[in-house]
Amino acid sequence: MTLDGLLRLDRLGRLLESFASVGPDLSISMEDTSANVLAAAGAPVAADDRRRRISRDIELDGGVIGRLVVFAGSGGETSGSRHSTPIAEALTEALGSSLEMLLAETLARQAAERSMTAAAERAADGGGTRLDAELALARRIQRSFVPLTSPDIPGYEIASHYEAAREVGGDFFDVFRLRTRAGRLAIVIADVTGKGIAAALLMAFARPLLHAAIDHTAAPVGALERTNRILVEERGSALFITALCAIVDLGTGRLRVGNAGHEPPLIVPATGPIRWLSGSGPLLGAFGQLDLTEGVTDLDEGDLVVLYTDGVTDARAVSGERFGDDRLVGVVEANRAARPADVVAALAGAVRDYQTGMPPADDVTIVAIRRLPVKRRRAAPDR
Amino acid sequence: MALTTTTEEVSGRVPITVLALDGELDAANFERVIDDVRSLYDNGTRNLLIDLGGLTFLASSGLVALHSIVRLLHGEPPPDLESGWDALHSLGLDVSSGTSQTEVQLCGPQPGVARVLSRTGLDRLFRIHPDRATAIADF
Repeated sequence: MTLDGLLRLDRLGRLLESFASVGPDLSISMEDTSANVLAAAGAPVAADDRRRRISRDIELDGGVIGRLVVFAGSGGETSGSRHSTPIAEALTEALGSSLEMLLAETLARQAAERSMTAAAERAADGGGTRLDAELALARRIQRSFVPLTSPDIPGYEIASHYEAAREVGGDFFDVFRLRTRAGRLAIVIADVTGKGIAAALLMAFARPLLHAAIDHTAAPVGALERTNRILVEERGSALFITALCAIVDLGTGRLRVGNAGHEPPLIVPATGPIRWLSGSGPLLGAFGQLDLTEGVTDLDEGDLVVLYTDGVTDARAVSGERFGDDRLVGVVEANRAARPADVVAALAGAVRDYQTGMPPADDVTIVAIRRLPVKRRRAAPDR
Repeated sequence: MALTTTTEEVSGRVPITVLALDGELDAANFERVIDDVRSLYDNGTRNLLIDLGGLTFLASSGLVALHSIVRLLHGEPPPDLESGWDALHSLGLDVSSGTSQTEVQLCGPQPGVARVLSRTGLDRLFRIHPDRATAIADF
């Protein structure tokens, strides 16, 4: 069974030919990303049979443009219905690159029609589309949450990079001195799962919550537990947040980390091998209790810490391969002696190069902090 | 890179729907997987085995799908991802509080996927089996 014979649409995307080779037991539909059926053929599917289905995303140029769904009807098997292997085989054979092209053409035609309609409407009422305006607004709101400059901390050097994907993303970070404890610096890096405006709103809610919780508890694990409780009990949401809170005692260099499902930070000592800082637990928003374990390490002079979001490790090349932990460590290793700003720039550049040709899938956030070597011994004021 | 989902019905001690995920579960498709399971639930599925054997990548948004699926199989109102603000209650399934769910189980995660599950604590939510046969026997 080849695909070209399977689906034939006219120029308006209507199905010209049924899926003759599919047989009476199967029905197939092609949907756009909103699950609007663009073309369907085969036996009508009874509600009882809707469970036996296969669906597959249809991608073009790295983006999902729709999906193909195959339903197995009840013809043939009656009771038991143990296996759907024939469906799987049929689908595997049916899928070819031409399907992507076919769907892309259909979608492109529909989009052209829509944009013509929209243009006509705009001409009529003289404004842009509401959704575009909303997205632009969400994007602006989101950007305003991300600190543009890092605080000036004597004895330390901090750099950050934040790059939003085209869509409204969910990364955020925060670097601030604790109000309640002198000589302590808090660093937060987090990623709201999901996407779109819902994720941006949850981030807008969570960031000040985390900030206040850290100020209040001065303990990274306690701050995460507190934030989680509020998220779960008061502002339940279907989305989660992976978040890492770090508190640095600027005088002693002691770094305490609470990690709620986030990528572990990299510790780059002045000399010696790079390592991950352990200590992890569930992400925020999914469970009533986190039961996190604090990770602790002491930063010596010259030691560097690199924090990042999954936009780094999950960056995808055209080949489909992911950037991954090994490349991350490789880039950091190659730049370990550089200033934090250069480490961050090198890593961001490597990720950008890696996903050349791919649409930016996720926000990329990187924060690096180094305890600077001091030339002359001075009493470090801790409080 | 795409995600293919395959469902089939098997008979263990109870009727089980096996949902096999092949490819990558990420922000581009996690909502669809939730939709798929919602339709399974609406059509009578009450025990769901998610076969992760063919899943090569699990993004953080995929975790939202897994969590939502557990909610769905519990008959809780389906989470509205668009609003993100509904007062949804946590599952009350925390391992720490001694409760656990068995309606949704997982099998065959590849090492990378297993790592994401354990890093984010979502492994607490599921019984995870090495393979399909073991999983089916456990329902």
